[in-house]
Amino acid sequence: MIGDVVKRSLESPTVLISVADLLGDASGSRMPDVRAELLTETIARHVVDACPTSALTMEEHEAKISGRRHLLLNYGECIGCSRCVQISEGALLNTDKFSRCGVAKEGLIRRWDIQNRAEVMQEEPALSEAAKQIRSLLGRALNIRQVDAGSCNGCEAEITALTNPYYDLERFGIHFVASPKHADMLLVTGPVTRNMAHALKQAFDATPSPKLVVAVGACGCSGGIFCGSHAVVGPVDAVIPVDGYIPGCPPTPAMLLTGILRVLRGH
Amino acid sequence: MTTTAYGASQSTFHQAVELLRAGNARLVSLFGSVNDDGTRRVHYIIDVDDCEYRILSSAVTGPVPSLTAIIPAAAWYERELHDQYGIECQGHPDPRPLMLHENWPPDIHPMVEDALHVPLAQGEYRFLEVRGEGVCEVPVGPVHAGIIEPGHFRFSVVGDTVLHLELRHFYTHKGTEKLFEKTPAMNGAMIAESVSGDNCFAHAVAYCQAVENAYEVSVPPKAQAIRLIGLELERMMAHIADVGALCGDVGFAVPAAYNSRIKEALLRASTRFFRTRFWRGIAVPGGVTHNLSPENARELSGIVTSAAEDFAQMARSILDTPSVQNRFETTGILGREAARSLAVVGPAARASGLKLDVRHDHPYGLYREIAIDVPGYHYGDVMARARIRIDETAVSRRLICDTLERLPNGPICVPLPSSANPEGVSAVESPRGELLYWVKLREGRIARCHIKSPSFQNWPALPLAMPGNIIADFPLINKSFNLSYSGCDR
Repeated sequence: MIGDVVKRSLESPTVLISVADLLGDASGSRMPDVRAELLTETIARHVVDACPTSALTMEEHEAKISGRRHLLLNYGECIGCSRCVQISEGALLNTDKFSRCGVAKEGLIRRWDIQNRAEVMQEEPALSEAAKQIRSLLGRALNIRQVDAGSCNGCEAEITALTNPYYDLERFGIHFVASPKHADMLLVTGPVTRNMAHALKQAFDATPSPKLVVAVGACGCSGGIFCGSHAVVGPVDAVIPVDGYIPGCPPTPAMLLTGILRVLRGH
Repeated sequence: MTTTAYGASQSTFHQAVELLRAGNARLVSLFGSVNDDGTRRVHYIIDVDDCEYRILSSAVTGPVPSLTAIIPAAAWYERELHDQYGIECQGHPDPRPLMLHENWPPDIHPMVEDALHVPLAQGEYRFLEVRGEGVCEVPVGPVHAGIIEPGHFRFSVVGDTVLHLELRHFYTHKGTEKLFEKTPAMNGAMIAESVSGDNCFAHAVAYCQAVENAYEVSVPPKAQAIRLIGLELERMMAHIADVGALCGDVGFAVPAAYNSRIKEALLRASTRFFRTRFWRGIAVPGGVTHNLSPENARELSGIVTSAAEDFAQMARSILDTPSVQNRFETTGILGREAARSLAVVGPAARASGLKLDVRHDHPYGLYREIAIDVPGYHYGDVMARARIRIDETAVSRRLICDTLERLPNGPICVPLPSSANPEGVSAVESPRGELLYWVKLREGRIARCHIKSPSFQNWPALPLAMPGNIIADFPLINKSFNLSYSGCDR
């Protein structure tokens, strides 16, 4: 009976995760991180060879200038397969803390100086104009329209989880809406398929300005494992302009939340 | 699993027809491949007496006769065969392109030619027109109102009542089967995991088993146990979430939220013990990548038990609610004969009187040593499909806890040979039903990988459950089948 259902629900203890515990959390995402102090040229070469999506690369160009090689990790291309972690002799690990969510495209790339055994720090790119406008207009009361442009539905499963009692996205004043016409932000997943490219453009055009577009997942950021398929047009920014990127395969609810808030905040 | 392979023969088609007509035989899949000399081949997989997969294959040089008029379940397979390989199925009642939408020129067949950089074409897709006084068309999609995948539904209605529903899918078609080709066999599971993300472990295990069967490699017992735990956990999570979503679709928000919380508890347990929420990266050809200690096994068993008990009690209260009964019962009936003619699989089949379950019929891995209870209903309505999921969650919990209690010791992965050039097939019972991978390997790489997904099989049955229902019940009926768009479109 309805009464039993409601009673059971009311009697259950709260499971809501605090904002402090959520932001920057990446447990379960399988995203790699580098222990710079353990990095060697040999390990770097091995992990680059093992990476199935070329998320890990060595910068040869840099070598010519300074005699130093950099290991580059593009999180936008990483599907979290953990091959690199398994063969890295401890120099790479699956991280539980990860903050490169909701960043500009260049912000997805980290680099390490192999000889120096240290990360090469970069400046964070500036906030997009649309983000500033939406922030001043709406604060954080954001309406999101999710568009699946060809995803495997892994990202959808995690976006759906954002509304469960652990994450409760609505506590931030953020809602999912049923039409692009009601939206301030499009949350776009998937490598854009040839068969969805037109519908994605139409959804973008139907969204009133100012609007934000966030590309979600390895596929949304770079095409992911589907790069180079004849039936795929490319990542989201091959079809519509993108303001922020949330990597991961799939990104966890905490990473999605971190990314959505960061695109709004801008830092 | 018993499989029988027939050699090349022009009478393969007639053998397939005879088998399918003779009695208890079911079309499992139909697909093409290319021989080493460049000629094309057609394969039929048929389940005989619910216990033996027979693979019939034959080289083809021209058109083949269509099976669809005799076996309606072949309809989409034959359209796919033409899209992919340009093999015409003569006499097909509906030869429209399936996965290649009108933005593709009609003479492109991506599995036998280079289809990169093909310029956009323009064409028209004609839906079946329903004429008559007061008949209206309602187009829905591909972009839907919720957080769901894209697809198009074309309803023909009179007032609220649906006369006809036509599906137009394959918006998420990613050329996945082609993408497998030339991929190292050890990396194939990564692609399999991205065929249908919410059932990614079932896809990964089915793929790995097909490769292992091809190389005739036995997976160590502990790896089999960990795979079983992952497969059943995935089923529990899918079924618990589905029952919640069904409540959400009749405006009963409290159990929808409650069930999403039970599912999240299981996702968090997976993160804790396996460092992954959806078990990605765990299955690899030869075994698994992550071990489980006896202490962690005990803890996991406790979490699974309390989640299953919590869900069972909530499910009882849900089914006792008269307004839920009113909305679920007699809604979206899929009759047994309709289900049989379209070779429907999974929970939808078991709710319509067809007792099919790969774990029982074609046991694999640890399931060979376990007796499986296969629940069944014959009403074929939303309620039956909800009950199946509730019953199966209890079965999964028992399987997980029994396995955790008797967790074997030993290695979790064995190396694969890479010299031979074999073919292999394997099926698993995914949360949505029979999921089969067929692989052909060449020097350690995949030469061909065919995926029979339960969603591809079951989508054509959804329109048969709609006529006579009101259009407002469509989200509920659709959810009760809960099919994957990406799994279907690939």
